[in-house]
Amino acid sequence: MTRRRLLVVLGLGVLVTAALAGLLRSAGPAGRADPVAEVAAGLRCPACQGESLAESRSPIAASMRQVIADQVAQGREPEQIHRWFVQRYGDEVLAQPPTRGPGLLLWVVPAVALLGGGLAAARTLRPGRREAAGPTVPHGRPRSSRIVWWLTAAGLVALVATVAVAADRLTPPATRPPPADPAVVSLRLAQDLEGQQRYGAAAQLYREALTARPDDDAIRLRLAFALLRAADAPGAERSAREVLGHTPDSPDGLLVLGLAQRTTRPAEAPVTLRRFLAVAPGHPAATEIRRLLGS
Amino acid sequence: MLADLGTASLAAGLLTAPLAALLWLRVALAGPAARPARLASAAALLAAATAVVALETALLTHDFSVRFVAENGGRHVPVYYTVTSLWSAMDGSLLLWLLVLAAYAALLARGRPDRLRAYAMVVVSVVTTFFFALSVFAANPFRAVTPAPADGPGPNPLLQQHPAMGVHPPLLYAGYLGTVVPFALALAAPLAGPAGRRWLRVARPWALVSWCTLTAGIVLGAWWSYAVLGWGGYWAWDPVENASLLPWLTTTAFLHTTLGGGRGRERWNSVLACAGFLLVLLGTFLTRSGAVASVHAFTDSPLGPLLLGFVLLAVLTATVLTGRPRTAPAPAPASPLRSRGTAVLGNAALLLTIAATVLTGTVLPLLAEPVTGSRAAVGAGYYHRTAVPLAVLVLLLAGVTPALRVRGRAEALRRLVLPGAAGLATVACVGLSSRPGTAALTGFGAAAFVLAGLATARPLLRPAVLGHAGLALLALGVAASTAYGRAEERTLRVGETLRVSDVSVRLVSVQRSAPAGRMAVRARLAVSSAGTTRTAVPALRYDPARETAVTVPAIDGGVRRDVYLTLLAVSADSGTATVRLAVNPLVGVIWAGGAVATAGGVLALARAVRRHRHRRPEPAGARTAVAAGAPA
Repeated sequence: MTRRRLLVVLGLGVLVTAALAGLLRSAGPAGRADPVAEVAAGLRCPACQGESLAESRSPIAASMRQVIADQVAQGREPEQIHRWFVQRYGDEVLAQPPTRGPGLLLWVVPAVALLGGGLAAARTLRPGRREAAGPTVPHGRPRSSRIVWWLTAAGLVALVATVAVAADRLTPPATRPPPADPAVVSLRLAQDLEGQQRYGAAAQLYREALTARPDDDAIRLRLAFALLRAADAPGAERSAREVLGHTPDSPDGLLVLGLAQRTTRPAEAPVTLRRFLAVAPGHPAATEIRRLLGS
Repeated sequence: MLADLGTASLAAGLLTAPLAALLWLRVALAGPAARPARLASAAALLAAATAVVALETALLTHDFSVRFVAENGGRHVPVYYTVTSLWSAMDGSLLLWLLVLAAYAALLARGRPDRLRAYAMVVVSVVTTFFFALSVFAANPFRAVTPAPADGPGPNPLLQQHPAMGVHPPLLYAGYLGTVVPFALALAAPLAGPAGRRWLRVARPWALVSWCTLTAGIVLGAWWSYAVLGWGGYWAWDPVENASLLPWLTTTAFLHTTLGGGRGRERWNSVLACAGFLLVLLGTFLTRSGAVASVHAFTDSPLGPLLLGFVLLAVLTATVLTGRPRTAPAPAPASPLRSRGTAVLGNAALLLTIAATVLTGTVLPLLAEPVTGSRAAVGAGYYHRTAVPLAVLVLLLAGVTPALRVRGRAEALRRLVLPGAAGLATVACVGLSSRPGTAALTGFGAAAFVLAGLATARPLLRPAVLGHAGLALLALGVAASTAYGRAEERTLRVGETLRVSDVSVRLVSVQRSAPAGRMAVRARLAVSSAGTTRTAVPALRYDPARETAVTVPAIDGGVRRDVYLTLLAVSADSGTATVRLAVNPLVGVIWAGGAVATAGGVLALARAVRRHRHRRPEPAGARTAVAAGAPA
């Protein structure tokens, strides 16, 4: 009997050790599959409802994931990357509020609930301190029951009346804008990408921002410049023409159009560029254009 | 005509429901015959049923002069989804809500009309009155549209894709509203004098009804998400999902604290009984008012302030009525540490903590906005760090139950040696052979612990065994699919192949079609694994009426794993398609676990009803009936 018990204890000891080893191995840093996904899971997709960057399919999320991948490749820590995003876009990009202010509630409430529940359970279990089994409220006398009845009737009428009156003043909930303005995020990201000379990707994000703000010609111009730099002259020309369709004398529109035409229709380019010089002789690019036309 | 009938029946409901409340109050206070009160409750049920039938008829006959049909009906919608479109938007689903509520009221009214039941009927009738008033004044689906349009947009396309749509919302409603009866009884008990002592015996079968339908409804909802939303997951800690989980947690705790007559745990029982319905109301407010952002928010409405007002009223009433200190002493059996009493209370404390955690995470964005000015979000990561470890603890506690019914510590320990060894061995083997992460690993261990403990249970067909086994299976499936699920996304040319673990997928062709103006793109894919090749056809549909694109995933289900294919995009010339291939292991086990747990609940309910029928009148206080269900 004792020997058997010894065997059981030994066996359990071996199992506990093996299980602990398994747990430690599984919790180790190598257990994490994809560092980019790990970081992305902690950030929120600005264009979606309640999705993290890791699971969202929106183009903004894709480019934000690309930013994360770049930073991971540069050897930055997840916390640093999160901080970088918070600095640019505020606390709202975090998938979980920071542990300060109202965010503390996320940890305080469960702790209090666990503590309170445990204490209450211990109190209930302590013998001798029982609560009453049966409620004992004396039955009302006829007079007071009549009052109760009339009060209830009045309460019901009040309830229905409240609903009836309030119903007329209800306004449908405004459709909530996504947490962070996706157009703003797209623009910021696009500018970052331009800084890294990734013009094709930047153009994609400008297009994204344009779908949110189709009337914003400033974005359209940026798109045109990005396309020009990405060597997509026909695209740049199209965007510039759209801008000029709204504002025929837009200097930047003329500038991009002219530069794009140097590839698409070399014959018309000088005409457009001269028009640009006529409209905005003091433009920062004017000297460069004059030099170009002179040569 | 139908519109008039519908409005008239809603008005009739608005008259009969408060009438029923007052008649039942008279029964409770003065004790006359209950027949008129019962008739009033039956009339309210009739009114709700007529309204539902009228709206269904309007939907099926395409009567677009009715506002709800003009907004949610459509001639192109198949008959099945026309029927289900009743609950695809707020106003119609409120009618279903009323029907279930009135049906429960009529069922509760059938029993012995003592003061307990009469007071409870007053509470239920007041709740019914409120929802009738909402439907009449704020969300009347029968308002006329002039001129009547020739066709409607149909319900949200996401709600026209899966047959679960016909079962999942009604089940959830049945579960949500099932909590109103225990709530009403808990409020009635302090008022009803000696009859109030029996409230648990009446409440428990109702809590079982609620628990079974909620369990089935939640699991079906997860299945629906998995099969329709196309991201390959089944639970995202979304506010709407959380709102359905909250009453489930408290009802589960209630079913445990009321075991053995619930003696010595009176406070717990009444708090948990009230919490269930209050959380249902709060969840309705959160998800129906647009207060929190959700992917499942198909039914935003302007009812928020009214619902919030009613939640506050209900909380206040519950606190006033059940919070009173009670005087009569009860016998106090000492409960040793290793006893059902301890386990049940530990379980209740843990489940309440999970509920508090989930609730905090759900409402925090709402609370934080006025304070910080920014809209915070609480993502799945929070719940993974808080609710999931607590759930593993609950599972471990469930695994201890086999040791609770035996005498002597040595015997109890012996009962736990084998399950404990099984759990530890699982953790060791899985943890050393792969790296699933701590949460999944402990989940595997706890599930093995519970299942090994139950394997020796005799008889096997007991509610507790089924319930705990279902929970363990669910945990197993969730842990496996989270830890070992793999997915990859790529743009394929026709003929190219995408590979994830041992499954490879070749793009065969891309087909476009536009039946009746509804554009659809399908990708024909050859799925090969383990030497066999099958065809899967995920699709992308565009609904011009609602201006939404819907992905229709193709799921090749298996016992071991699901192959889950989603078509994300197609190039303009149909030459390439962006495809997401996910291999999700053991997802089927989750559905099986849900089914087993529900079966446990149904078994407990069947026994409760049988016992109720066969119970002979007993001398008062002779024996507190062990109400139905799981002897631990």
